[in-house]
Parts: sequence; C-alpha cells; structure tokens
Amino acid sequence: MVRGSRALHLKDAGAISKALLDILVCPLSKQPLRFCQETQSLISDAIGVSFPVVDGIPCLVPRDGKIIEDKEKMTSANGPGSAHHHR
Amino acid sequence: MAVSAARVFAGEWASGKHYRLFPSPAAAITAFSFAIAGLASFCTEADGVLSSRVKIFDRDLKRKHRDRAAWLMGGKNDFVDSVAENLLDRLEDCKKTFSTALCLGGSSEAIRRLIRGRGGIEKLIMMDMSLDMVKHLKNTEQNYVSNNLETLYMVGDEEFLPIKENSLELLVSCLGLHWTNDLPGAMIQCRLALKPDGLFLAAILGGETLKELRMACTIAQLEREGGISPRMSPLAQVRDAGNLLTRAGFALPGVDVDEYTVRYDSALELIEHLRTMGETNALLQRSNILKRDTALATAAVYESMFAAEDGKIPATFQVIYMTGWKEHPSQQKAKSRGSATISFEDIQSHFRSNEVN
Repeated sequence: MVRGSRALHLKDAGAISKALLDILVCPLSKQPLRFCQETQSLISDAIGVSFPVVDGIPCLVPRDGKIIEDKEKMTSANGPGSAHHHR
Repeated sequence: MAVSAARVFAGEWASGKHYRLFPSPAAAITAFSFAIAGLASFCTEADGVLSSRVKIFDRDLKRKHRDRAAWLMGGKNDFVDSVAENLLDRLEDCKKTFSTALCLGGSSEAIRRLIRGRGGIEKLIMMDMSLDMVKHLKNTEQNYVSNNLETLYMVGDEEFLPIKENSLELLVSCLGLHWTNDLPGAMIQCRLALKPDGLFLAAILGGETLKELRMACTIAQLEREGGISPRMSPLAQVRDAGNLLTRAGFALPGVDVDEYTVRYDSALELIEHLRTMGETNALLQRSNILKRDTALATAAVYESMFAAEDGKIPATFQVIYMTGWKEHPSQQKAKSRGSATISFEDIQSHFRSNEVN
C-alpha cells in the first residue's frame, strides 16, 4: 500500500516537474536546482537550501525554503550533484 | 517649504528610521500628505541609495490575503475581467507568437480564462505567492481543456523570480506587481527571464485608485480616533510607469492608463470585493486594529460624500498598463547621431518651394 502510493507520488511529481525543471532556478542565487526523489524537494546546492514540492507544485518562495542539515550536506558533498539522482 | 519637508521625509524612509504619526490631528494631516509625496518621489528618484532593503509591504500578510482570495473567488468579477481582456488584447496587436508564457500572480485566473488562443501560447506557467491559489487554479484546470494549453503550476515570489535567464517569450502580470516592495527590482528580474525580443505585459493599480475610500478613511479616523494610520498603499503614478520600464531596461516602452468606476450597493460591498481580489491593506506600518466604530463611520462618510442619486457607491480604479520588450537587434531604434545625409533645412525648403508652386 505504502509502496504503491509512493510510486504514484513519484511518478506524479516527476511528470509535472520535468517541463518546469528546465526553466526553474533557485530564487535567491539564480543557480540551478536539482530534484531530490527521496525528500520530494528541489535543492539549491549553491546555498544549501531545499524547497518543497507539494502535489507536484514546486514552492519556491524563499520563506518556504529550509536550510539543509549538516548531515545531508555531507552526503551531497561526497558525490557532487548527481549523488541523489542515482538513489 | 512643503517641498523641503517632503524631501526630509523621503530621507527618513531611506535611512530606515521609523515613521511616526504626529499626535495632534492637524499635524497628522500634513504629515500624511508629506509621506505620500515622499513615497511618490521614492518610486522615481530611488537610485542605488534607497536599496531593496526598504520594506513597505508585508509580503507574508499579502500571501495570506491571496490564500483567502483563493477561497472567496468564484463570483463574477467584471472589473478584473475587463482589465485582463484589455491586457490580452495587446497580444493581438503583435505579429509574433509566444510559445512559452509565464503568468505572474494577481488575476491569473482571469488571464487563463480569457486567453482564448491569443498570442499562440503553447506552454503557460502559472505562478502565485499563495499555494492555495495555485491549487485552486490547478483544480479548475479541466474547465479550460479546450484552450489546448500545456499549463504548469508553481509557487513563487515576484520579488525573487525563480526563472532561468532567457527562458520565456512572454510575461504577463495582471494586477499583482503593485504589491512588491522593490518594483524596479522585480521588473529587472522579469526582463532577465525573458528571451531576447520577449514581451513584458503588466497591469498595475495607479495612484488615483480608491481615492474616495482614501478620503473617507482619513476623515472617519480623524473624527473617531483623533489621528490617522496608513490604510492605503502608496501606488505608482502614471509618470513613474514609463521611468520604471526604462529603468528596468525594456526597449520600446509603452504606458497607458484606464480609469474604471465600479459601482457598489454599499461601502461594505466594496471592501468585500477588495477581499475577493486579495487587495486589502498589507502595509507594514498599518494599525492592526480597526474599531467597529471607525469602520462604520468610514462607510457613512463614504456614502454621504460620494453616493450617487440612486444610492450606489462609486469607486475609482486607475489601471496602468505597461508594455516593454527585451532588446533584440531586429527592433527599430534611432540612428546614431550625425548619421543623417539630408539636412532638415533642405527638407523645409523643399516643401516650401512645393507650396509656392
């Protein structure tokens, strides 16, 4: 059950974000964003902030962003950029 | 004297000092008018020194207003419809087609409903500050399947536009940009997001908007509370709009103004209408309390001062339409100085000799 809904969720978010992802950038640094499947969020590596994606709608108001905890930062630092994509 | 006082006030805004209302009512009136003058000059003369740190509007509150507007929307809103129609009509005047368009907050619902294939838009991105508003737009999507539009949704802030440079052909903003703290900055971001030869189309509310309500609020507050607090936003003047466009670096700027008078049954209905549009007071220096007494007095003053013979209440909305293009070599421009091959005197004498004949 959980797995099914999760798969649906992923497909949903991916499908909607794809066309948008090409033109979206971080609102603060204007640097590229990367979509993290695991947390369902858009991550700005330049400033270490993640923005939520709610029902396939990316929320890119600076106030919605969350500063990524150090632990997560470490993992993204180990495999620059692409680490999250291959999970 | 008045001019220098206004300058002092503008200076106070710049240095970020707190703006306090004077205790005595007579002084309060002068202070208020000076504050308005100061803000008006802030729009045009603010260069460098007055940076985006100056905060006039409470953007978080405005976001909540937009949430509420999303819940209240649905009724017929002729004013917004005619503004959106007027704005979109401009697309028919261009031969160009715009495949990717971004619709910024404000009345994006009306824009999508009325677009009807104009401008050859294939991909429309709808952006608003409020998640509820975007969800509402997304949920009502199936009503507009006939538009053949690929519609994408996102939540974003006009002051921090999250769009890659050179990625859009058209940017429409219908009645949204007047709530930005840094309007020139927002417009510069819009220009950057556009592709060369991309079009920026915006409608904002101008300084004459709701002048009746402005007066009624001032009088009622003076009468009941012995002083006034800012209840209305400072809005751009028409002369500022052209300056804004050129300062943001748009080519071929165009500005025009329309005044709409909307007639309501009562002043309370006007406020209700403002609420459904998400256009209620979001000034940072607003007073958080509105006494019932003052509110009713405002309605009474409004009705006694402005009501028409049939008992309807008129309200003026001044809408400033702005058009600008991102620079492109194909656009017409003035030739360089001294490149003329014919003198104006020759042309004059040529026509004169024709007249004689």
